[in-house]
Amino acid sequence: MTSEAQTNGPISTEDQKAKEAYFTASQRQLIWARFKKQRTAMIAAVVLIVLVVSGIFAPFLSPYDPTIAGRDKDYTNGAPQIPQFCDTNGCSMRPFIHAVERERSLATNFRWVTKVNEDKRLYVQWFVKGDKYELFGFVPGTVHLFGVEGGKIHLFGTDEDGQDIFSRTLHAVWTSLQVGSIGVFIAFVLALIIGGVAGYYGGWIDSVIQMVTDAVRTVPAIPLFMAIAAFMPPELSAEARFFYISMILGLIGWPTLARRVRTHLLTERNQEYVLAAQLCGASPGHTIRRHLLPSFTSYIIVDLVISFPYMVLSETALSFIGLGLKDPVSSLGVMLQKATSADVMLNYQWYFIPVVFFIVLVMAFVFVGDGLRDAADPYSESHK
Amino acid sequence: MLSFVRFILTRAVMALATLIIVSLVVFSLMELVPGDCAERYLAFKNTQGSGISVADIEAERARLGLDKPFFTRWTVWITNAFQGEFGDSCILRVNIADLLGQKFWLSLGICLSALVLAYAIAVPVGIIAAASNNATLNNTLKFISYFGLAMPNFLLALLIMLISTVWFGETLTGLFSKEYRDADWSWAKLVDLMKHAWLPIFILGWSATAFALQTVRALMSDEIGKLYVTAASARGVSGRKLLWNYPARHALGPIVNSLGFDLNRIFNELPIVALILVMTDAGALLIEALARSNDQQLAGAIIFLLTASIVTLNFFTDVLLAVLDPRVRKSILR
Repeated sequence: MTSEAQTNGPISTEDQKAKEAYFTASQRQLIWARFKKQRTAMIAAVVLIVLVVSGIFAPFLSPYDPTIAGRDKDYTNGAPQIPQFCDTNGCSMRPFIHAVERERSLATNFRWVTKVNEDKRLYVQWFVKGDKYELFGFVPGTVHLFGVEGGKIHLFGTDEDGQDIFSRTLHAVWTSLQVGSIGVFIAFVLALIIGGVAGYYGGWIDSVIQMVTDAVRTVPAIPLFMAIAAFMPPELSAEARFFYISMILGLIGWPTLARRVRTHLLTERNQEYVLAAQLCGASPGHTIRRHLLPSFTSYIIVDLVISFPYMVLSETALSFIGLGLKDPVSSLGVMLQKATSADVMLNYQWYFIPVVFFIVLVMAFVFVGDGLRDAADPYSESHK
Repeated sequence: MLSFVRFILTRAVMALATLIIVSLVVFSLMELVPGDCAERYLAFKNTQGSGISVADIEAERARLGLDKPFFTRWTVWITNAFQGEFGDSCILRVNIADLLGQKFWLSLGICLSALVLAYAIAVPVGIIAAASNNATLNNTLKFISYFGLAMPNFLLALLIMLISTVWFGETLTGLFSKEYRDADWSWAKLVDLMKHAWLPIFILGWSATAFALQTVRALMSDEIGKLYVTAASARGVSGRKLLWNYPARHALGPIVNSLGFDLNRIFNELPIVALILVMTDAGALLIEALARSNDQQLAGAIIFLLTASIVTLNFFTDVLLAVLDPRVRKSILR
């Protein structure tokens, strides 16, 4: 092989190498190579990674505690404060915001009114000490990425309790990712077991399971979901609620996935390698786990990524109507609950800033899932 | 003809079986709820000042038939449910069929209109997108339909309300104007309803459109590349005639089949959109039944009715497909 390559010159050596790389590449390398070619999917993947990382490091990246403990009682329903470099008094290298003051006097009709003091600057500082937090749930810390001295900075403004919307948004992204992961995981395990049994055994077991799965699939998920969620005991703690909600999401989300697993198993189980394993005396469980599942891991991963945003959206909808997560937990649904009043819509539109983050999160997942699906399909290249 | 009747009968039996399984699921869920109707009713009486004892609860249970075994109660419930009779609501103490009645048909009407709207947009646009080689058009459409999927309907409803309150100074809520709310049905009332209903129909149709658009486009681009289309265009068929008579007819089957799932999707959004737009329909009633009073009778009835409409739609689309598609018809008649 080497002599042939040498006679054909350096270009075909590279050709040869590329070919060799292609034919010896593992499944994962092939998928990655195809995935890299899709620009939208790559952009979405980068966005997604940024969001996931900012969710994981939310306590460090957000300047204040997202719960009522981190509230700024002097700046409730406050407008977003954008750091700036210049104002009427000149420019500075370090970004700053203007200080706000509260006053109550005859001029303001004896109501508390917040006023921006254009002459007083609060400079943005890096790595400031602030509210205590625990990174990943166990690394304690007090240092936050940014903050200001002698006041507070609220990039996205504050809500009616004075809680920082920027901090809450970052934490809410993390909550959504957690709920989605747990929900997807439960749905995945259920789908594997149910779809696996149906697909592997076939026959009447398959027919019965298919019938039940189809029946469950026709029930509209969110009303059913609401029905189950409504009967959670109201005295549950926020954490327990969180796990219940994720569990319910998983319990309702399995049928679609189970169907895919079953269809694939039905076609694969008659292949020779399965027969070989069975002749060697492998038990059904072993055959499914070691031989059949690896044959379509990539499809399963794609399905998981695609079903993820629906979990996030369901959780948001449920929390929004007050049947899902409750207040100390930051979640988009919880945050939007306060945004439905006409007062908020007319005067405090910054309540809606987190919505942008969620649309971006969901769309990133959809695009990445789409890209992965194309990349995982070995025939996608021959089509083009 | 006889085999066609047999086909319809098999489909009907299958739909019925699905409904029975669903009713079992729904009924078991209603049973799992802590506390039963008797306890709820007497707890309510207790708050009104009358004392109650365990014997009272038992007597109430016997009256409602709650002391019978699970299976008997389920059979009674399901037989009544098929006759449109769901018993009394636990909390409101009104007959559920009376309570739901018009509201359910109203919601169903809105949802079906949303479905029609979705396909009225998705079918032509999807076919054009699949047929054209214009990259910008395709990418824009792809982005729009993904955006439709990513943006949950309740957010859209909120944003539309935000815009209408900020710029137009009016909130677009409710289904009827005040003077028509309790009036009998008349032409004027219908007109009034349509003035209000376009918004929920549009919002509910939004993500259904996005989804249908993707389905139509994918199916059409699969079909367009096939040889029979090339053959037809070689024979000189072109333009709209080519698209409609060849690939569109093939793509029709899966589209008709997906109608049921699209209705399911729309039902998913109904309660929340109803809540935001303050509509007095079944969806809002469901939320009320669940969130405020734990009314399992009412909740069960609504979920059962919603599922029943999906199953019915599925049944009709199956039959419709057999009528429309000669291939399906052949496979039945053989």
